[in-house]
Amino acid sequence: MPRFEDTNIGDQIPVQTETLDQARLIVYAGASGDFNPLHWQEDFAAQVSPTGGIIAHGMLNMGIVSRVVTDWAGGPENVLKLSCNFRAPCPVGAAVSFGGEVLALDENEHTATLAVWAELEDGAKVVDRRASRAVVRLT
Amino acid sequence: MREYAAATGVRGDASEAEGGPLVAPPAFAACFTVGRGEAMFSDPELGAHPNLVHGSQEYEFHRPIRVGDAVVCTPRIADIKTKGGMEFLTLEIACADAATDDPVVTSRGTIIFFAQGE
Repeated sequence: MPRFEDTNIGDQIPVQTETLDQARLIVYAGASGDFNPLHWQEDFAAQVSPTGGIIAHGMLNMGIVSRVVTDWAGGPENVLKLSCNFRAPCPVGAAVSFGGEVLALDENEHTATLAVWAELEDGAKVVDRRASRAVVRLT
Repeated sequence: MREYAAATGVRGDASEAEGGPLVAPPAFAACFTVGRGEAMFSDPELGAHPNLVHGSQEYEFHRPIRVGDAVVCTPRIADIKTKGGMEFLTLEIACADAATDDPVVTSRGTIIFFAQGE
């Protein structure tokens, strides 16, 4: 867990990149109980998807954002708030990069507020850093 | 919780090494709140349909979530608005400890419904 004294505005969470293939979406559907066919059935996705194809669960991307923030925070008990704004659709098979940046520090509460994000290789904002935040308790 | 951890790539947990009950990954809250969406789809008057996307999601943690917790989740419609042929439904779900009634996590999620074809 980062120490409050050693944390500065502008500090970055190390970026992690993952490919979200169809198998991963099915595993997430089973774990979360979200079986919306938009995430696994091509015919259904062709009718309703913003891309015309299968897209990843927003909450799978949030789950990976949650993991990246938790790793930085030193444990899930230090994550006090987490919000994600899902902007661009995330097509199945996309390579997604996840990261964060310290925006503000609260000396009284010993907390950091971070912008968090998930982006595709072309820069499309799957989780938009402008409206996605984590609040982390520091030591 | 182990399935969720595997699905999101979470490796290990310090609380497990220490022998205490596992602390859930923060966004695991999805699994007992928005995960299945039963509350939303079980109300015929609401008219929820599957032509939707998840617009945004927020969790406020009042205490860590642990294996063995029993929580009572109370959903309410926080907001509904229509914009450009789309409908935005914001659900707020208050999750409280079943034994003590103390708040555990508050979930606020916005679902965007696209116009249904006739």
